[in-house]
Amino acid sequence: MTSASLVTPDLLSHGTLECNDTPATRRFLTEFLGVDVIRPLPEAQYLSKGGPWTVVCVRVEGEQKEQGPQNRFKLAVSTPAEVDAAHAAAEQHKDSYGIRRVEPVEEKGGIRSFHLQDMNKVWWEIANVTQKYYDDAFVRGDFKQ
Amino acid sequence: MNAPAMTQAKPTTSHVKPNALISGTFVTRDLARTRRMCEGILGLECVEPEKGMLLIRERGHRPGEKLAGQPYWVLEAREVGDIAVPQEMLNHWGVFVSSQVAVDEAYEKINAQQKEFSLGRVQKPRFRHGSYAFYFVDGDSNWWEIEYRTPDLVYTALRAKGDQVDPQAP
Repeated sequence: MTSASLVTPDLLSHGTLECNDTPATRRFLTEFLGVDVIRPLPEAQYLSKGGPWTVVCVRVEGEQKEQGPQNRFKLAVSTPAEVDAAHAAAEQHKDSYGIRRVEPVEEKGGIRSFHLQDMNKVWWEIANVTQKYYDDAFVRGDFKQ
Repeated sequence: MNAPAMTQAKPTTSHVKPNALISGTFVTRDLARTRRMCEGILGLECVEPEKGMLLIRERGHRPGEKLAGQPYWVLEAREVGDIAVPQEMLNHWGVFVSSQVAVDEAYEKINAQQKEFSLGRVQKPRFRHGSYAFYFVDGDSNWWEIEYRTPDLVYTALRAKGDQVDPQAP
């Protein structure tokens, strides 16, 4: 399929989200979520946690777009206990960081996770998912009808 | 060259202790159409591990391939009946290509096959903040960017430079 595709990319490189308070957003991202952040431009911060890809946080004037939980970014933690600890921390510190919603922890196929919506109306998922989970899925291939 | 480079996540003292920003998710009303676009236009690898769910990554990570063992970002697409929250250009997904010429070629090819892939608008390439890129929107309001950055402006290079603007500035 590669030879037939219109584009041959080097990298699936980035996603984007909106914010309207750059310093407050950075505090949430670094102090609460543990994401690495740099600000190369007045109007944008770049988020990462390893790997060459990034999420670009674009500053907007006025209200940010309300996102739904099906459009979200996922952070991997190492253990189910870390998911639970993150959930407890979200409940405890939601006012401090402007977290709007914290959904209950769920478990499916051995992966514990929960969703939260931040001050920018952006949804995040915290899950004990690993790259091996995705490696295995790509190796297994499509499900059988 | 925009080829992936290995970088490690930094240790953190934050409340959440992630080891990776591992995935992004979006929705589609037609998973087969999305797969056709991701494979046929964007040259990405797709797999449908369960009904109604598509995983997407750049090619080259299979065992024995050039990027095997290196980290990658995954997009997860879910099939839904309706798009509850239509996306806009500031909510997009992007790929890097290897040259400015590759951006122009991609634009010509994608623009020529807009209807075949049920795309919406295909914008013309332009320079912005040192990158050269264009956007198009798919049949489910998801926006995509085809981008070239010079080596000093790829994300890993920018991270090495650190903040260029006061983080506390509004």
